[in-house]
Amino acid sequence: MYAVETKSLSKRYGKTTALKDLDFTLNEGEIMVLLGPNGSGKTTLLLILATVLKPTSGQARVMGFDVTTQSTRVREVLGIAFQEARGFWRHKPAEILRFHAAMCGVAERKRDELIERVLKDLELWDAKNKLFMHLSGGQAKRLEVAKLLIQRPSFAIFDEPSSQVDLRGKRTIWAHILKLREEGSTILVATNEVREAEYLADRVTVLDQGQSVICDTVRRLKDSIAGGDIVELELEGSDTTKLEEELKQIEGTVRLVTLKENQFKAYVSMAEAWVPKMTNLCYKRNARVLSVRVTEPSLDDVFLHFTGRALEAAQVA
Amino acid sequence: MRSIIRLVWFDLKHELSPPVWIIFEWAGFALQLYIYGALISQLVTTMTDYLQFYAVGFVVMMTFEIGSHTGRHFVEHAHEGRLPYLLSLPIPRWKLFLAQALQGGTELALMITLPLVVTLAVIGNFTLISVAAAVGTLFWLGFGVAGLMLGLSFIAFKSSDVYSAIVSALSTLIIRFSTVLYPFIFLPPSYASAAFFSPLTYGADLVRLFLGFDPGILLDPRYAVAALAALAVSTLGLGVFLLQRLVEGVKSG
Repeated sequence: MYAVETKSLSKRYGKTTALKDLDFTLNEGEIMVLLGPNGSGKTTLLLILATVLKPTSGQARVMGFDVTTQSTRVREVLGIAFQEARGFWRHKPAEILRFHAAMCGVAERKRDELIERVLKDLELWDAKNKLFMHLSGGQAKRLEVAKLLIQRPSFAIFDEPSSQVDLRGKRTIWAHILKLREEGSTILVATNEVREAEYLADRVTVLDQGQSVICDTVRRLKDSIAGGDIVELELEGSDTTKLEEELKQIEGTVRLVTLKENQFKAYVSMAEAWVPKMTNLCYKRNARVLSVRVTEPSLDDVFLHFTGRALEAAQVA
Repeated sequence: MRSIIRLVWFDLKHELSPPVWIIFEWAGFALQLYIYGALISQLVTTMTDYLQFYAVGFVVMMTFEIGSHTGRHFVEHAHEGRLPYLLSLPIPRWKLFLAQALQGGTELALMITLPLVVTLAVIGNFTLISVAAAVGTLFWLGFGVAGLMLGLSFIAFKSSDVYSAIVSALSTLIIRFSTVLYPFIFLPPSYASAAFFSPLTYGADLVRLFLGFDPGILLDPRYAVAALAALAVSTLGLGVFLLQRLVEGVKSG
């Protein structure tokens, strides 16, 4: 059984289609990252799974429970950290967490200790008695994440968990999300930050205009781009014309660009397979390799490859 | 039940520390009664002790306004972004709805207590049972109005402007076309027909009946009991239905 499964899931807001016949699965104990620009349908999917929104058509099941007909059961097994933490202007972080813990059935004797630990871990302890309206954007975001760290649900949903948070804070949040998975939670993260996706994901689903474009592990997604790996190499000597032709013939070479007389940039499918072949060839031709530098594609390149648009450009659009 | 009480208390405790808004409501009532009420009762000569009639009417008006506030509160939750959080909590929707209505009821109790005591002092002739019946009627009316406004609040998810316009128009009509400030028997026929459609008519006349006013100037209490029961049950039922079937937190991409 999948932890989450959707079949032909659609959501329309009037004439706007936010999700279009989405088929999506998430395995138990997995961290799945939904990657896509704003407006791609990520948040809509999360809110349907959290039973906050109702699907227009199609089915969605969470831990075996249908989000439409068994919504209370669904809410009992999941927790969600929303994209924007709002609405508790006159409350303080500690009391918001105490309320959340009580509503989610965290045992009373454990509550205070757990809240203190999470507040300290997320560097919110000093702000525990500030009014919510006086928290910074980053603090409010961390408070939103703190709710799930206290609740520890079987299925945790994070909507852009580290947006507005500084680099150190991001690392802390990511570490806690990974720890939550280690403790047995299944996790779904929506983000438009490539680094966040690369850091957290077991698998990535690329969403664009309400549809799943592709879903796979980060490694396989990157490998699936023909010419996605870039190998920059510098050879000794000046006459490399013949060798250049032979480099182009190596299996996996998509394109070879001459930078200088003895410097090349090769766009290859899998650098780890291409580089040994290249060094063998150079050895046979007595051409000494002075330097090799490999860069792999980012998930932004993956998005570009599968949608024809860069993630950043799609964001603006 | 504990989750409902938690939901109610989570908001309410902030409104009580300090309870400025309750004190303002009480001050407003005092000013209205002892300045406007006292003046108008001197001008009304066809009734003896119009001030008593007016005091009860004003308490009923307050009940209506506090009940309306519950619906607005729910809309504010939606627009401030709190509603998605509430909708994601692991409780059935009906409990969430009941918590909203109970919060309205508790606010009503807090705000109405002192004005009601003052009104009883002005009337000066009542029994414990009659007071209990009057309080029960006010609560029942408050629940009905809160249910009505919660039901209407779903319009606000489409357009808060349309919601505000409808609620303002409705409040104006429901208060003016009722027997809150004027006895039923003195109303012109066209006005009296309209008053039949106002829930405040039934609330006000039933409270007055329990507090010992002349039944001759009031509506038949059987109609009032039936109308108030129908209002509360139907609007709260409608609200729960809408919450379960229709309400959604936010629209987002």
